[in-house]
Amino acid sequence: MPEIFIDNQRYTFDKPGKVLQFMLDQGLDLPFFCYHPSLSIPANCRQCMVKAGMPVYDRDKGIFETDEEGNRLIRYFPKLMTACNLDMSDGMVIHTHHSDELVKQAQADNLEFILINHPLDCPICDQAGECPLQILTYKYGPEGSRFEHKKVHKPKSIQLGPRVILDAERCINCTRCVRFTDEISKSHQLSIVSRGDKNYPLTAEGESFDDPYSLNTVDICPVGALTSADFRFKARVWEMNQTPGIDVSNGKGCNTYIWTRDNLVLRITPRFNEHVNDHWMPDKGREYYREFNENRVSGPKIKVGKEDQVGSSWNNAMLTFKETLEAASPENVLVIGSPYASLEDNFALKTFASHLGITEAFIVPHIIDGYGDGLLLVDDQAPNTQGAALLEFQKISASELKERILKMKPEAIVCLDDRLLDRESTLQEVFSSSFSIVFGSNMTKTSQQADVLIPVTCAAEHTASYVNSEGRIQRTVPAKETKYTHRRLNLEMSMSRLDHFGTRYDNWVNEDNKIDCIPAWEFLGKVTIENNPIVWESSKDMLEHLSASLPVFEGVSYPAMDSQKGIQLSIPKS
Amino acid sequence: MRPEDWKQYNPVLLPPIPNLHDIQVYEKNSGYDSLKKILEDKENWSPADVIQEVKAANIRGRGGAGFNAGLKWSFMPEPDGKPRYLACNGDESEPGTFKDRKIFEYNPHLFIEGAIIAAYAMQVDAIYVYIRGEYRAFVQMLQKAIDQAYEKGYLGKNILGSGFSVEMYTHMGAGAYICGEESSLMESLEGKRGYPRVKPPFPAQKGLWGRPTTINNIETLANVPLIIQHGAPWYLGIGKETHPGPVLYGISGHVNRPGVYEYPAGMNIMTLINDVCGGVRNGKKLKAVIPGGSSTPPLRADMLDGVSMDADSLREAGSMMGTAGMLILDEDTDMVDLVWRISYFYDHESCGQCTPCREGTGWLQKTLFKIKSGQGEYRDLETLLSICNGMEGRTICALADAAAWPVRYSIERFRDEFESKCKKTVYALA
Repeated sequence: MPEIFIDNQRYTFDKPGKVLQFMLDQGLDLPFFCYHPSLSIPANCRQCMVKAGMPVYDRDKGIFETDEEGNRLIRYFPKLMTACNLDMSDGMVIHTHHSDELVKQAQADNLEFILINHPLDCPICDQAGECPLQILTYKYGPEGSRFEHKKVHKPKSIQLGPRVILDAERCINCTRCVRFTDEISKSHQLSIVSRGDKNYPLTAEGESFDDPYSLNTVDICPVGALTSADFRFKARVWEMNQTPGIDVSNGKGCNTYIWTRDNLVLRITPRFNEHVNDHWMPDKGREYYREFNENRVSGPKIKVGKEDQVGSSWNNAMLTFKETLEAASPENVLVIGSPYASLEDNFALKTFASHLGITEAFIVPHIIDGYGDGLLLVDDQAPNTQGAALLEFQKISASELKERILKMKPEAIVCLDDRLLDRESTLQEVFSSSFSIVFGSNMTKTSQQADVLIPVTCAAEHTASYVNSEGRIQRTVPAKETKYTHRRLNLEMSMSRLDHFGTRYDNWVNEDNKIDCIPAWEFLGKVTIENNPIVWESSKDMLEHLSASLPVFEGVSYPAMDSQKGIQLSIPKS
Repeated sequence: MRPEDWKQYNPVLLPPIPNLHDIQVYEKNSGYDSLKKILEDKENWSPADVIQEVKAANIRGRGGAGFNAGLKWSFMPEPDGKPRYLACNGDESEPGTFKDRKIFEYNPHLFIEGAIIAAYAMQVDAIYVYIRGEYRAFVQMLQKAIDQAYEKGYLGKNILGSGFSVEMYTHMGAGAYICGEESSLMESLEGKRGYPRVKPPFPAQKGLWGRPTTINNIETLANVPLIIQHGAPWYLGIGKETHPGPVLYGISGHVNRPGVYEYPAGMNIMTLINDVCGGVRNGKKLKAVIPGGSSTPPLRADMLDGVSMDADSLREAGSMMGTAGMLILDEDTDMVDLVWRISYFYDHESCGQCTPCREGTGWLQKTLFKIKSGQGEYRDLETLLSICNGMEGRTICALADAAAWPVRYSIERFRDEFESKCKKTVYALA
């Protein structure tokens, strides 16, 4: 097997590649800015310089030449090489800052160069705390700067597009953003303008940076040059909790991080998953964070007579729910699952309905033909259409549902968390003629017309799984607390730096913004009907049962999903 | 014809023949004979033979790096039926260089003929001539010459009935220094921003539009018909053996008769100044010579003893041949001012791709300005040298070196002058 020596340590590699990527894979440290594993390699930041050499090979004898002590003779390249575009080859010798003073000096020199025209406004910069330039400067940079002149001034706070703002002075010209629009989103909207130390990325004159993936450039920007117009100046990075999640705004199921502070989701960023979304996610998924915070249903609501909904106790809501369903004959109850709700919630609803003798259950998929773009946006607008279909919910269109309601005249409609009336306005009239029970996370038209409205958790608040349009099952972890969960008690919830290191006198823990809601399956489990089939203590148990009872979910469990970054189910892609 | 016999030298690149730019005059003076010689006798002159002849003539590229042109041609892979290109570098953006314009102006057909021969030798399909944008008039002159060559059948399909075809296009630059660097020249030709490319892959493997490409200087190609016509031994007889051939010396600065002079390579620098250019202007004393364009290290007058204009002699003296665009400086020259101006140029022209060059050129320029304006301190000189250390050899192309060398060597060779401009401090000197 070919071998490579990095800082006098021997490593073997089985497939060709670049030195920097190999070092990153091995967990070795080397500073870099412009390199990104999913983009082309321009080698322009010059930060990852290493001393590289090859052993001297004696062609006649067919062996490597050695010195008196038997060590291989190494012929070093005359200049320092950038590791990012240096191809590995058998016998190569690499010296990084750990074993070579010149490399160490070169890295410090380069950081000093980068910083001479960088504004060093870290205290007011959004990137501070997660800034590669800041981190690498502390680690590899010079102690101070010898630059005594006026810095180059460039435009600040340029609104590049609806979602991205540029501070050109902070830019270090790594061209990651330009390469992203050229190679990934293919909108070609950004390019470097001007020359030398005055250059920075910009759109063509009069053009707006309205790429549907524009916010990815903010993520990959190694400094605070590109900032999100929405998130700008909202929070410092270290104040937030970072929890892995799933994008529920689209059927693709991009892997995300949900960033919360004070039980509010402040932003959503992509999480690397080579099977689904690589390093990227659409802007639409990031803007969805508002749905987790705003306009939430807190506490059950009941309509009395023709009046508006009024707040109710959980007991009252549960009793009304139970009595309504018990009073109605099973064939006169319409059960509508949801492509938006999790697999567990849909499964609980289905189980509960069949226990009551209701055999049919439906979902109305939310598909917009032609919406997909072949990258990360797909026609399917809901995160779990596939999952609901696997639980044998019948897929019907809105008009079919309307006909069915008109024909059936149901005594009660049970509708899981969905925006049926918001997206299908024709359903409004037929819904209002029946007694409707809605599980809702947000105050939508659907929730507002409900006779009984049960508040349920959103994807940022519960542990649940979703099957994306490609048939990959992935799961969420609660990122924000509800009234009934607690960060310290729910061991699944991620901890922030303050959780770990703060004292109890620090005021980062508060009761604000906690929604009075529970997962739909938990509500169904608490309904006091005879032999309630929802016997599980947690969604984990539920999924285990599901996995054991339905062959398609064989081998599916939360730990397995975590370790394999989701599990591809063997079903045809929709 | 050795450099010592320069007085008997008859110019061959720019012979004193009136209206040589006209194709009829050029043909009368045995123009396009080399091309005919090759194409009418393809059995004796296969592409490999042409490359062999040029390689044997040991012609060193005239664009600055001085690489053997025949050897460069031989790097081209075997033809595979897909396009291959020859790019001719007439960007001539190095300050102090103004030789190619003479070829465009007075003897464009010699260059065109050379380019066609090179195209034949490397079996390329198209020749692109990248010309400095400021040379608008010369572009028109060259275009006229190219049109004439097309009319006469020296360019286009089936040249002279030989079955060999090649097209020739001119392309005007937009005034960027960096586009004279071969890989950014290719980027610019492709219509992109002039950023130098990372090598490898080298242009012969992946050049214009990802296809094999060779880039040659205009003057280099103009030498090719002469080599074919007279043979490699004749060519080796001109100039120095290690650096043969005629060279266009573009001499500017403080001399009585500045201009472009054609003489054998390896001319003694003092001969060029005193005998060819009529001595330093106004009877002043010589202070320094920048031998090959602004990026080459300057040589002090007392370092010029016996130094001649060829690659080896200049390397020994501590400078480079470059483009042979010599800058002669008299005793009144303020070196700090000069170096600042050179630095200002490189600051302005850095493409901004690599960090050390983008930031370093600006820092050099600002520090030199500080010294120039009397605000400098001794430690600034050490800072300048350490900036040079951080720039040299740490970038994709050689612009960082080109920007750092004049500063480094000026400080090393004229340190007293720099120090005299610095403020006197009470601190111990470094």
